[in-house]
Amino acid sequence: MSGTVIEVRNVSKRYEGAHGTVNALEDVSLDIREGEFLSLVGPSGCGKTTLLRIIDGITPPSRGDVFLDGRRLEGVSREMAFVFQDINLLPWRSVVENVEIGLLARGVGREERRRQALETLELVGLRPVAEAPPYTLSGGMQQRVGVARALAIKPKVLLMDEPFGHLDNFTREILQIEIAKLWRRLGMTVVFVTHDVDEAIFLSDRIALMQTTPGRLTEVLEVGLPHPRWEFNVLADPRAIALRESIIERLHVRQGVMV
Amino acid sequence: MSTGAPAVEGGRPGGWRLRAPRNTVPALAIFAALGAWQLSGLFLNPILISTPSEVAHELVFLTRSGTLQISLMQSLEEMLIGMAAGLIVGLGLGLLMGRYAAVEKVLSPYVNFFNATPLVVIIPLLVIWVGISIWARLLFVFLVTLWPVLLNTLAGIKNVNRGYVEVGMAFGLSEAQVVRHISLPAAVPYILTGIRISSGLAIIGMIVSEMEVSFVGLGFLLVHFGSAFETGRLMAVIIVSSCFGIANVLIVKWIQSRFFPWISAMAASAL
Repeated sequence: MSGTVIEVRNVSKRYEGAHGTVNALEDVSLDIREGEFLSLVGPSGCGKTTLLRIIDGITPPSRGDVFLDGRRLEGVSREMAFVFQDINLLPWRSVVENVEIGLLARGVGREERRRQALETLELVGLRPVAEAPPYTLSGGMQQRVGVARALAIKPKVLLMDEPFGHLDNFTREILQIEIAKLWRRLGMTVVFVTHDVDEAIFLSDRIALMQTTPGRLTEVLEVGLPHPRWEFNVLADPRAIALRESIIERLHVRQGVMV
Repeated sequence: MSTGAPAVEGGRPGGWRLRAPRNTVPALAIFAALGAWQLSGLFLNPILISTPSEVAHELVFLTRSGTLQISLMQSLEEMLIGMAAGLIVGLGLGLLMGRYAAVEKVLSPYVNFFNATPLVVIIPLLVIWVGISIWARLLFVFLVTLWPVLLNTLAGIKNVNRGYVEVGMAFGLSEAQVVRHISLPAAVPYILTGIRISSGLAIIGMIVSEMEVSFVGLGFLLVHFGSAFETGRLMAVIIVSSCFGIANVLIVKWIQSRFFPWISAMAASAL
């Protein structure tokens, strides 16, 4: 059994709004194993994005701690990289210059920066458009750049916040396979936020279910299907079907929907 | 497919008719306006208004005699120096105020005061300070140029897309790096708008200060020909001044499309 890379300990997040306090996240604890693909799944408002941002350190928790390899994290972690749903590539920088941004922050020299960024673009198949302005690319290609930007810093943990949420189904399926392949090839840990149950089943080793009001983690399920999953129709597998049913049932029952 | 497009275009009978009006109608309109203006000369007192042919004639005369070039260079020189100083200081202060809330708090009452003041009122004071000299004109151009670029830079820095800043922070850029690599470039559309307004005001500032405080430049020519009722020459100088304004707008546009093509691309994609 592989070790724990990230420990989330009793993390809560409160927002003081004009209409009182909002409990975005209440007392979440979670161990993330080294090298696993873990999805956070739940309805809007369950705090899954907040939890991911707290793990990265972009958002500070109101209470609780996050540990990476046993060290308590403060501020933005240098060993994790974030893939945003709103990719926000900087339009005044070329594709490759966008991929360089994390390396720039780490003080890597100009030539080395370029070399590593191009190498990473190669990984996502975008080497040919390295010099293009990002806004000339399709949505799917832009998100590949978003992934390359994160991979360029060779993160120990890749945090992905509904990265394919804005893409059409066809593009999304292609990128799901690509991300599964990259994960297998690079061996990093991935924490993936989605509200798409099929996406979570296709990609994950484990699925953490979350609920709203207050945002909280209710259960962590093992997917237990073999990798690689793009070589067969994994979602038609009886185990996947049963898992999907049970996840949907759990999410709905807790929301008070009759099933 | 590439061979198809021209064939269709050329093969469509009357295709030229669709394209022709785009250039022809405005051109015809200009000729009509010029013609009407020329004809008005038959009925109106030449002291009230001159005709296009007369204005063209005076333009040639003023150029041959060298008066126009000399005045133009004098005007251009003081405008460029005053404007450059105004733009640099405005940009610098705007950046400082955008970056440090304390600086903004301290300076913004003064900035708003001067921005709201019709700055022509300050000319007599400038004359008391530095006399009727190029310094008075430089200072005036500087003062009118300063505020729009400052306020627009400040607005640009404060309105940077949160998502861009978040990307910078998530990837570990330091605060100084965020300013340099994210806030500043993201504010460029605002800054260019500020520059366009400021440089337009610099032209007005140049001419007004020359009308009030000088014996040189286009402003002086305007006063001179006006008081002599030389309407043809006066209108010739007016047209040269208009060209200043047009050149200014074209230059800023060119800078934007040449060096910041992403601005119009992003604006188009936001629609």
